[in-house]
Amino acid sequence: MLEVDLSLERLLFNLNTLAELGEEITSPKDFTRVVKSSLYMVMGSFAASKGAIFQYDSEDQRFNAIAAKGLSDIKGAGFKLSKEAVKEIVKFNKPIDLKGDPAHAALLGPAKAELEKASARVLAFLVVKDELLGVISINEKFSGQDYTVYDFQLLSVMAQHISFSLHSHTLLTKLMHKYTENKGLYENLRRIYYDTIHAFAAAIDAKDAYTKGHSHRVSAYCTVVAREMGWSPDEIEGIRISGLLHDIGKIAVDKSIINKASPLTSNECRELNSHPVIGYEILSKIKFPWKGIPMMTRNHHEKVDGTGYPDRLKKAEIPLGARIMALVDAFDAMTTDRPYRPRLSFKEAMDEVRENFGKQFDPEVVQPFISVIRKEVLGEVENPSIVPLLQEHLDSVTVNRLLEGFPGIS
Amino acid sequence: MIRKHNFKEIGGSVILYPNNYINDIEGEKLEEMCEAFLKKGVKKIVIDFSSTDLINSIGISILIGIIEKVKERKGAILFSGLKKVNHDIFNIVGLTRHIPVYKTEEEAVSDLKWEDHAAV
Ligand SMILES: [Fe+2]
Repeated sequence: MLEVDLSLERLLFNLNTLAELGEEITSPKDFTRVVKSSLYMVMGSFAASKGAIFQYDSEDQRFNAIAAKGLSDIKGAGFKLSKEAVKEIVKFNKPIDLKGDPAHAALLGPAKAELEKASARVLAFLVVKDELLGVISINEKFSGQDYTVYDFQLLSVMAQHISFSLHSHTLLTKLMHKYTENKGLYENLRRIYYDTIHAFAAAIDAKDAYTKGHSHRVSAYCTVVAREMGWSPDEIEGIRISGLLHDIGKIAVDKSIINKASPLTSNECRELNSHPVIGYEILSKIKFPWKGIPMMTRNHHEKVDGTGYPDRLKKAEIPLGARIMALVDAFDAMTTDRPYRPRLSFKEAMDEVRENFGKQFDPEVVQPFISVIRKEVLGEVENPSIVPLLQEHLDSVTVNRLLEGFPGIS
Repeated sequence: MIRKHNFKEIGGSVILYPNNYINDIEGEKLEEMCEAFLKKGVKKIVIDFSSTDLINSIGISILIGIIEKVKERKGAILFSGLKKVNHDIFNIVGLTRHIPVYKTEEEAVSDLKWEDHAAV
């Protein structure tokens, strides 16, 4: 497998396809068309010229072709797998590279030869809740390039999307489409979105040696602050996703700038500071099932006194979510090591927050942030999200003393 | 909604002008058109994308389908008039490695003529 080329254009192309795929499989269009579109999306993503989707019939353990492209007659085409092979495949639950992974390819037994006759190179099995629903097969890339690690991850995510579609179709045909079931499936779809975005957030963080896990921490911190502020579950989910993606624009910023230890030149600074706008441009093209994600990303470096960037917005003009993000983003930056300085202690970070209270940070956000930290230290929260991620131990006496006399905090 | 793709025949070749979007299964109409031309004996196909704003992954798979069909019949296929966003996508999926891309339809056509002579 080749090295991963994660260019901004590729990421954008793939994110768009995932969003479209998500839309397609939840659309009321007829099943055959949805399956066909899904297959085309997969093939187009990798520039494969031959591909097929097979549905698994657990009764006779046969995979039956339900859509194909680039292959001549597929009517009645299919193959069988042994029960043991099915079990192993469900357990493995990753795409199988017929060329590069002989151990797993061998699971297919005689079906391997049949699939290879249809030019199959990679198989992505469709599994929902340990149930095998089918398989997508695609051939070599038209371009002659090899599949990368990233391709396999993307294929796996797309296969999850499509599994969801097949699953809901199966459920519908079994007349089990009760409201609750559908709701559960919708949740499942969101889960898939979330997993995808997690993978991309990891890619963003990977670019920055010093901020490993920054996006995940910002996401976790945003979530608890929003919850403390009484946001609805839907809004909370939105800011959680936003937190994971807030630095996505950094994908377009040169790695050497992000990891530079010495002060940035004005050009480098301009490039780095373009990341909220680039992020906004990427994310505004994607239809998310949650509101406000592009704007929260765009405005996460605004300051309530109007001296931030890119729009120099003042307090109420900044989306509340972006104000939450601005605080927890800065807090995480302060409490972790940076190329140009070691991390600050919790006390030093809170001194900074106090210093910039009402200037950089919104008091309406600082208050719930502090109260959450206090609750976590006092053990009043079941699953603390901030305190365990800090690299120091906080006890209630110290924290109370630190937060004493904080403006607006009783 | 039925969207017709325009075309222009010049000698033994054809220039196709797809719609502004090639982003769903309807795009297969383009593939069917190409097939019909190939059956008629057309050997060279230019696809001019100058009025195409958006090609998504479905569009890519349809275009690959067309390319494969042209190749099967030993024909030639050329692209022209690609907007940057579409050119980027063609680059990402590696299409530009194998299909000649021209700035304008005229450039593609003149090259096509050259190939015509070469084929004789
Ligand atoms: Fe940022």
